[in-house]
Amino acid sequence: MSGARDAAIAVEALTLQLGTFRLDRIDLALGAGEILVVLGPNGAGKSVTLETIAGFHRPERGRVRIGRRDVTTLPPERRNIGFVVQNFGLFPHLTVEGNVAIARRRAAGRLDTSPPGAGDPVALLNYFGVAPLAKRLPADLSPGEKQRVALARALAGAPELFLFDEPFSALDTQTRTQLRGELKSFLRQLNIPAIFVTHDHTDALALADTMVVLRQGRVVQSGTSAAIFARPADSAIARFVGVDNILDGRLVETAGGMATVDVGNDTVLRVVPCSTAVGTAVRLAIRAEEVAIGPAVGAPDVNRLDGAVTALRELGPLTTIEIDCGFALKAYLLAPQARALRLGVGDGVTAHIAPTAIHVMVEPCEDAVRV
Amino acid sequence: MIGGMVSSAAEQAVRPGGDPSRPYGLYLVCWFIGSILLAFFTVPLIALALSQSWASFAQVARMADVRAAIALSLEGALLSATLATLLGVPLAYMLARTDFVGKGIVAALIDLPLAVPHTVAGIALLMVFGRQGVVGAPLAALTGLRFWGTLAGIVVAMLFVAAPYTVNAARIGFEAVDPRLEKIARTLGLGPWRTFWRITLPLARRGVMTGVTLTYARSISEFGAVVILVYYPMTAPVMIYELFLRFGLDQAAGAAVLLLAVSLALFLALRALARSAPERDNR
Repeated sequence: MSGARDAAIAVEALTLQLGTFRLDRIDLALGAGEILVVLGPNGAGKSVTLETIAGFHRPERGRVRIGRRDVTTLPPERRNIGFVVQNFGLFPHLTVEGNVAIARRRAAGRLDTSPPGAGDPVALLNYFGVAPLAKRLPADLSPGEKQRVALARALAGAPELFLFDEPFSALDTQTRTQLRGELKSFLRQLNIPAIFVTHDHTDALALADTMVVLRQGRVVQSGTSAAIFARPADSAIARFVGVDNILDGRLVETAGGMATVDVGNDTVLRVVPCSTAVGTAVRLAIRAEEVAIGPAVGAPDVNRLDGAVTALRELGPLTTIEIDCGFALKAYLLAPQARALRLGVGDGVTAHIAPTAIHVMVEPCEDAVRV
Repeated sequence: MIGGMVSSAAEQAVRPGGDPSRPYGLYLVCWFIGSILLAFFTVPLIALALSQSWASFAQVARMADVRAAIALSLEGALLSATLATLLGVPLAYMLARTDFVGKGIVAALIDLPLAVPHTVAGIALLMVFGRQGVVGAPLAALTGLRFWGTLAGIVVAMLFVAAPYTVNAARIGFEAVDPRLEKIARTLGLGPWRTFWRITLPLARRGVMTGVTLTYARSISEFGAVVILVYYPMTAPVMIYELFLRFGLDQAAGAAVLLLAVSLALFLALRALARSAPERDNR
């Protein structure tokens, strides 16, 4: 993540009370052309954050800076922001052309790499390949076409920042995946920074250059998406980013480049040591895909867990397997692997987890953790 | 039309292979009961229309005073609907888009004229807009605008009883506009005023037009408030009442059919206009 000082877009200590909801010292920073994903459950304050950046709520404290301009006190129409919402928010009473033509190009608009024909509706529609639809009404467009028109319209206002408020949340998985890919490639070409708000961690993984996790109006973690997915700051974030196995334990020993965590039932797991003191209660986050399942013979001795299969679920290419090895553990098998192992419920099985694949979390986590 | 709808519902109810989850029996009963009300609305009007021979209808239509009365009604209703739109749409917008202390009271005030008997409304208006009224007297002295015996008085009476329809329907229209569309417009560089004219108002058009249509229709049909405030010049309902008192049912019915035809045609035309407004994007 870029430092706030030299970032193209900086949101600093944004604080706002809205009824009973409080947005508390939100910091965000984006470099040129960077995509920042704000991930969080419903009610975390994601939309309020975006709308405050766009100028629809007046913050009590904090600043919003776009390029060199402090826009904190400017009305939305003078902030040079492209705003895309759920279902893309096209004006239903205007044609595709009308939607794009309504934008007023602002003199303050500044673009390093001017997209083809920004401010010229026809050129914009051509750029996004929707010129043939110019006379259509939004109701007659597919989701993909709507997205392109929404981007063309947003660009017509010569934005310096894009804001996306869960644009895909009403779409089916397949369309979502497709539009996500398309959006990413457009954003790469346009080189305009974007803040993308979502509660879907697959959106976050697919789009994010950097990511922040928002919860109850506060940033609880920020960093690269890879870092947050591998090393979530607490168990709630871990669950939210799709970690299947979260174990409670106690750090019992740190020696020889390894730490040992007692997870109960006479089981210890070796983990990569962290700064946590011996005796501390910890939680371990283990992604299901990091749990190797195999026959008992030949398995490594470190973090070897013997157990019995309690559930098997075939999901096309993947089979999820749940094991009782003193605690419940979930893992994935690829279809060929599942066929080879010929496992059934009740069968004995051995699981193995590399120490490097176990992420240690210390809770309660009071302050935001920066990765 | 009504019979046709009932029989088609009945056909669906007994058609084999219909959607088993749909409560056709319930629909059938509801249609049956509903058609009683629809018949109650339509049968008297049809009976009225059929009571007149074409010749007598044409004769009434040629009567100068009847035509003048209908023209006056249309003119008054047009002005009333226009004023209701100008004065009511801003209020509807505020009610739809903002929360303020006393909003419930404001909403109740808007409905108040609907609850006041129209003769009572007429008397109340007379006290304000009449010869000695607090508004009527000074306005007449200063500008010469008088509300007794004039079109202005007719419009005031019509507006009082009919404007609530504009406010309420326009409010529903504004409430149906997704605020996020207005927000997007703002980010696209449109100021609040331009956003209102280009986005909010066009999208609320259907509600506003529905309100204007109802106000117009209600204005044409108003009798009670008008007759107390302004007896002469006579609007069509007042004239029909006078024909009824002086010459009996037959004379009154001729003029009534003419007014019915004119107002129904206008009502349908306005309704069609309101319907042609674009629907919201299906979300």
